[in-house]
Amino acid sequence: MKEILLGNAAIALGAISAGVNLVSGYPGTPSTEVLQTVAKYNTDGNIYVEWSTNEKAALEVAAGASYSGARTMITMKQVGLNVASDPLMCLTYVGVKGGMVVVVADDPGPISSQTEQDTRHFGEYANIPVLDPSSPEEAYQMTKYAFELSEQLKLPVIMRPTTKVSHASGTIDIDENPQLHKFDGFVKSPDFVIFPPLSYRRHIEIEKQQAEISEIFDNISFNSITVKSETGIAAGGITAAIVKDVLKELNVEEKVSFLKVCAVFPEPRATYKKFIEQTKNILVLEELDPVIETGLIKALADNKITDVTITGKIDGRINPAGELRFDTVKKYIAEFLGISYEDNSAPAVELPARYPVLCAGCPHRASFYGVKKAMKGKKSAFCGDIGCYTLGNAKPLDMVDTCLCMGAGITVAQGIKRMNPDTNAFAFIGDSTFFASGMTGLANAVYNNTNINIIVLDNSTTAMTGHQPHPGTGKTMMKTQSREIDISSVAKALNAGFVETVNPYDLEKSMETVKNAANFEGVSVIIFKAPCIAVSKPSSLYNVDNSCVGCMHCINEIGCPAMYVENNKVHINDTLCFGCGLCGKICPTNKINVASKEEK
Amino acid sequence: MDILVSGVGGQGTILTSKILAKAAVLNGSSCARTGETIGMSQRGGCVVSHVRTENTFSPYIPMRSADLLLSFELCEGARNIAQLKKDGIAIVNTAQINPVSVSLGVSEYSSEKIKKYISDNSKAYFIDANAVVEKSGTVKAVNIVLIGFAFGLGLLKISKEAIVDSIKQNVSSKFYELDVRAFEAGIACAQNI
Repeated sequence: MKEILLGNAAIALGAISAGVNLVSGYPGTPSTEVLQTVAKYNTDGNIYVEWSTNEKAALEVAAGASYSGARTMITMKQVGLNVASDPLMCLTYVGVKGGMVVVVADDPGPISSQTEQDTRHFGEYANIPVLDPSSPEEAYQMTKYAFELSEQLKLPVIMRPTTKVSHASGTIDIDENPQLHKFDGFVKSPDFVIFPPLSYRRHIEIEKQQAEISEIFDNISFNSITVKSETGIAAGGITAAIVKDVLKELNVEEKVSFLKVCAVFPEPRATYKKFIEQTKNILVLEELDPVIETGLIKALADNKITDVTITGKIDGRINPAGELRFDTVKKYIAEFLGISYEDNSAPAVELPARYPVLCAGCPHRASFYGVKKAMKGKKSAFCGDIGCYTLGNAKPLDMVDTCLCMGAGITVAQGIKRMNPDTNAFAFIGDSTFFASGMTGLANAVYNNTNINIIVLDNSTTAMTGHQPHPGTGKTMMKTQSREIDISSVAKALNAGFVETVNPYDLEKSMETVKNAANFEGVSVIIFKAPCIAVSKPSSLYNVDNSCVGCMHCINEIGCPAMYVENNKVHINDTLCFGCGLCGKICPTNKINVASKEEK
Repeated sequence: MDILVSGVGGQGTILTSKILAKAAVLNGSSCARTGETIGMSQRGGCVVSHVRTENTFSPYIPMRSADLLLSFELCEGARNIAQLKKDGIAIVNTAQINPVSVSLGVSEYSSEKIKKYISDNSKAYFIDANAVVEKSGTVKAVNIVLIGFAFGLGLLKISKEAIVDSIKQNVSSKFYELDVRAFEAGIACAQNI
């Protein structure tokens, strides 16, 4: 059956075709749809699927299942692997029994991430193989293969798509009758207990295995060489697909040799040797870090070859950051080959900037506004975190002074408070992020008695990545309902001195609570609780009376995307308004009210 | 055929590209690809989907080579004109969604200037798709109206049956009839120009 599938869905269906037994992960763009697709296709419930509290938990759950012989897949974005790196590094030494595929989506650009880190390095760091698909079709085949490779090597295998493979779709003939992998169950063995003497022995074996894997990758269809001349191009992942299209467009397919490297670590050494023996000038094109380029340069030294030139990121020819799009690749290749090319840039026009914003009716807008008003004129630092609420940095709210990584807001606020005792240090954190990595920061603040104010923005979902459930909702990917974890009870159990829950739309109560929290000596926690508009229904919509005086107070204070100005009066776009009523509460002339049915 | 679909997060660009790609395959194309904007931009930001119905390796359309642009919002049409062939066709919804930057007065939204830029750089059709769907009751079907309009102009090289079948496969049964009506309304608009 031919289906049009996103790269992420292709990975999911590849895993189902391989009989995957357990899939765990934490949402993160561009990886989220992998796990969601497995859950969607898991209609009989035979595959166990969970959103874990964070990536470390996900990988450890999968490790236990893999020890039992089950086939497992873990999904996360690139920065998620930083969180899961502790179990991953150790798991190489312990090894796995059932095939384990760790899907880590990289984000060149970056489009939705804090870093442009390259997960291919993690393969080298952890001594495990990395597969880097060039298309959704290849991702489907690679995922199936990755389970076999993992079982053959008894090592986890990293499947590393990038955004433009994860979020692009191709036409794939999918397996219509996948069979669940059969396994024996957990059998006790000293091999599952990591101890220094075992680690020493395993380290020697792991290093030996690298050469073995390199040979496997020399004979795998995901890597290939086409020899046409002494001028060559090497590329991997999505860039390999783009290079093929560019060579065709420039009409040089028959003039340029091409090395495609999608089973990228350990490097296919014999393949690299073969390529550098048959070429004299090589351009390496790859997004993020020069991994293939470094491999080829190492191959020159290994093989004592001195008359081959390799150019790419290391010598500064290729921009070290950002994506490699078709037109950029075309420019690089044409310049490398010394041929002319058509510059396709278009005449510029000034267009209004359209940045992502908090949705109309988003409860975070009211929460930020309440804190801002309450702390007006007082020296404050607002430490943000990762989620939709990072968008609170945009004007006019301007309420995010720091943002580092998941859970860091709470702990960064502590450092700021320690060195700036006269500053009111606030940390904003979402509900899902609180469970992922906020609780340890709260414990740290209470234990060290650091006088900070934590604002939990509880919208009952993991909103930014597309509304996944989390421990606070109790809903699971197996369509069951667990006991919900109440954030207020967690804060009380961790012995924060001040814990209150407020509705952010109750502006007066919000401001009063924030002031009380700021005056409280010790750790205070305010939970602003109101559901995300995506998981709730709109209330009565609002509209602006014709007698609006055009003072622009509403727009300048809260910047709601549903409000616009026409003829010096404010209007509300009724297809965007959600009826939160925040604008009505702050209108100095009371001109914004619930719209009557006729007015709508 | 290379088609771009642009708009503001939430306007249904991803659904549109899925419908077009699947319709192309139902119509006999051996491989269709799409490239999407998913993630942070969905929160009211600029989004664009690429649809390629012929055999290419990469899912993303090069600059100045798309055959057709469907834009659900006026200035998002202009933002993607550079991807269109010099003689490419742009079908642009004239309804504006003002970004917050405009309400705050830090950037300007001049619809006349934007329309001129689109017309100068493509063969442009402007359509008030919001007015078309108002009768059917939901602004969410703007995307389907534009598919209908493109089909009505004979630009899609896909059969009507394949498109309707693809709509059926890609939307929930609750919206199917409404979307087919929006598709027909789009075709009617094209026939009336």
